[in-house]
Amino acid sequence: MSQPNVVSQVEPNLLVEPSQDLPLVSVSVAFRMGALEDPPGGEGSVRLLGRLMRRSAGGRSAEANDALIEGMGAGLGADVTQSTVSFHGSVIARSLDRFGEFLIDALARPSLPEDELARLKRETLAELVETLDDDRSLARRWFRKTLFAGHPYGRSAGGTKAGVESATIDSLRALYRRLIVPENLVVALAGDVTIERATRFAAELASALARGERLVDRTPEPSVRAGRHLLLVDKPERTQTQIIIGGSGSHPADPDHFALSVANTAFGGTFTARLMQEVRSKRGWSYGAYSSLPYDRRRQAFSMWTFPKAADAAACIALELEMLEKLRRDGLSKNELAWAKRYLVRSHAFAVDTAAKRVGLKLDATLYALPAGYYENYTENLRAVTLEQANRALKERLSDEDLLLTLVGTEALVGKPVRDAIPRLEGSDVVRYDAE
Amino acid sequence: MASNRAARLAQLNANAPEWGAVSHVETVPFGGRLKIERFRLKNGLELLACEDRSAPVVAYHTWFRVGSRHEREGKTGLAHLFEHLMFNEVEGRASGEFDRLLEEAGAESNASTWLDWTQYNIAIPKEKIGLVIGLEAERMSRLVLREPQVTSEKEVVANERRFRVDDDVEGSVSELLWATAFNRHAYRWPTIGWMKDIEGFTTDDCADFYRTYYAPNNATLIVVGDYVESALLEKIARAYGAIPPSMLPVEDYQAEPPQTAERRSEVKKPTPTEKLAVGYHSPALGDFDHLSLSLLVDVLFGGRASRMHQSLVRKQELAADVRASVGPFRDPGLFEIFASARDGHRAEELLLAIDQELERACKDPISNEEIERARARTELGLIAGLETAEGKASTIGFYETVLGRPAAAFERLDAIRRLGPSDLLRAARRYFSDSARSVIFVRAELAGQAQKAAE
Repeated sequence: MSQPNVVSQVEPNLLVEPSQDLPLVSVSVAFRMGALEDPPGGEGSVRLLGRLMRRSAGGRSAEANDALIEGMGAGLGADVTQSTVSFHGSVIARSLDRFGEFLIDALARPSLPEDELARLKRETLAELVETLDDDRSLARRWFRKTLFAGHPYGRSAGGTKAGVESATIDSLRALYRRLIVPENLVVALAGDVTIERATRFAAELASALARGERLVDRTPEPSVRAGRHLLLVDKPERTQTQIIIGGSGSHPADPDHFALSVANTAFGGTFTARLMQEVRSKRGWSYGAYSSLPYDRRRQAFSMWTFPKAADAAACIALELEMLEKLRRDGLSKNELAWAKRYLVRSHAFAVDTAAKRVGLKLDATLYALPAGYYENYTENLRAVTLEQANRALKERLSDEDLLLTLVGTEALVGKPVRDAIPRLEGSDVVRYDAE
Repeated sequence: MASNRAARLAQLNANAPEWGAVSHVETVPFGGRLKIERFRLKNGLELLACEDRSAPVVAYHTWFRVGSRHEREGKTGLAHLFEHLMFNEVEGRASGEFDRLLEEAGAESNASTWLDWTQYNIAIPKEKIGLVIGLEAERMSRLVLREPQVTSEKEVVANERRFRVDDDVEGSVSELLWATAFNRHAYRWPTIGWMKDIEGFTTDDCADFYRTYYAPNNATLIVVGDYVESALLEKIARAYGAIPPSMLPVEDYQAEPPQTAERRSEVKKPTPTEKLAVGYHSPALGDFDHLSLSLLVDVLFGGRASRMHQSLVRKQELAADVRASVGPFRDPGLFEIFASARDGHRAEELLLAIDQELERACKDPISNEEIERARARTELGLIAGLETAEGKASTIGFYETVLGRPAAAFERLDAIRRLGPSDLLRAARRYFSDSARSVIFVRAELAGQAQKAAE
């Protein structure tokens, strides 16, 4: 190797890892707040802003900007999560200077024209209609919306029809002035770039942006409704049922965060974990069966995901509930814990096998305000988890009673058997797949 | 280097198992920095090894030259079902132990099947390479097939089919498009298989398939990453050297007769907006025209600056999405277009707008600026796909299996740099023929409800 694989934190808001492995540079320009800044009733506004900035970079037309980006051998997207806005691109190294200029045009000199916003809104509304074809996305959207009802995490970063329609050029310009300021900026570059070149780009970008105020995330911790509740999203002619079952999950600052991560891995994090073995390998009920435990700045959800055929939906749900109860009651075995730790520690090699991935982890740590040393000490923290810690985390953090069961399926086929299969079901709602 | 290798191979071969003698066949440059070493075992097993020390990991692929094209009517989906069964049980190990050992070692493993091939991929920390070699050699020759596992896996595959095809509008329409466009060639059935065939497979079907196609002389190993060549060769020779070659059957190849009239079909689907799928017969991956057509299709459909996106999505606002691809197959396949209409627009409007752009491409040469843009997109796509050892192994394995040239991705990039407007005009006039296309109109059973949607 020509140099050690080390991400340099050149400045508080600049991360760089040069690598000459390929003539390619990965560039991320991110801001520390995202769809949480959508105005009330304006879900999707921040996403519209990100897309409009890209389209109107430097005051040019969207057509001219698309041709410019693609002509230089680059790709650029604006990704919006609840907590971040990120302009992420890759570019062939020979075009890095031009790509940097384009990014500065998009971030500091977008014209944000009204006619392009009108067109973008129509496009976005059409895309939202298309998402109704994707049952998995539908299930995920309804799960979050219902689990976090009344909390900002229940709102859709991708937008809603009413939210997109309500966006005006004035509201987006106000958002731009608030969000896209150097005080919220984090820049990350990896690949065929020098630290000097990256530093110069970051400085040029920061100085081109109008100054503002550092935004502080004041989102409250979400709470989860007590009891077991069923939400059946009714869609015609479904031969199978998308099922997401979940409740309150983890926070990266929890003292048992790593213990719970290990426990989740043993339960539903891999192909040989309990959930996949029971649902797929033994019964053949679902092509996939996983549990997940994502993080954000506030506590996120724990969830299990399966998609059995309609006739197996009720039995699959009953099995998953039993497995969750057993997991909390009996915990993991010593062997399961040891195996999960080995898997997580060793497979971390694939989270850090390229400069872009290593920089990406550092970027996440910065944007999501992860505890100091989260990734630097990641494998050590996993190795240190004990059986007692993992099993206590399962009991204290996960619930088998306060659960939301979200299904996308055909109510006439699965409604009654599913309701009958859920012990202690406290509430049940049916909504149309295109409702709201 | 060459003489050192020859000496090491001589030493290795002196103690090799019956079929394990290794010969070095060639060195192939792979991009500017890397090279591929091709080795062959006496049993016919090919090994393509590419040393890359950019990360302490190894990607280990096994590509079998068998795909859904080797199936027959009534037994469609067997290659794919078998791919699933390869993860179940081998002699001397408990069911599921294969995956458990790999995961414990930190490996990421998966597999895929398509028309021409089946591939198994494992990425693993470099110190565990020996484990992978042993496990992969075991399942190449000592797989256990039992009735309960076959029954359970058939149900898993049926559920995969429901997920990818039956409950997925685009998946089901693409399946119909291929079945409409092909009458004779084995590309006419889907890789995942028809549901009734999946349900009907027996354990004997699977055992026959295994004995017929899973042999060292029908496979190529791709190893990319941080390894020591001499140790790698020694382990591979020992693990695979006892497996004899098999007599591979002659493929019952059926050429697709030329299509002489447009084929149209109409289906109803539970979707809020109309869709359109169009398939033109297209050249095989190894045909020079494949390059010209691919570059042309990128000009027309690739990215937001493309002609189709600009026309259908931006200017006329007929479509929510329009995209296309040229099939990368050993035999002639399809250039496939898929478009989703915006609410209130018909699939026929999409077809008309697409036809106008295709006709324009047949009439006027494409500008150099558009060609340059498509070239840059192609180059970016290739480079971005090579960031990881896994990406490099996939690229090498794919081109080796389909074309027999592991570095063909770079050859194609060089060739694309030489293409000009004349090549693209020729490709347009040769392949954009209404009489050689199939068209599927998708009617929206849930039309009219879309205005309430998306909130």
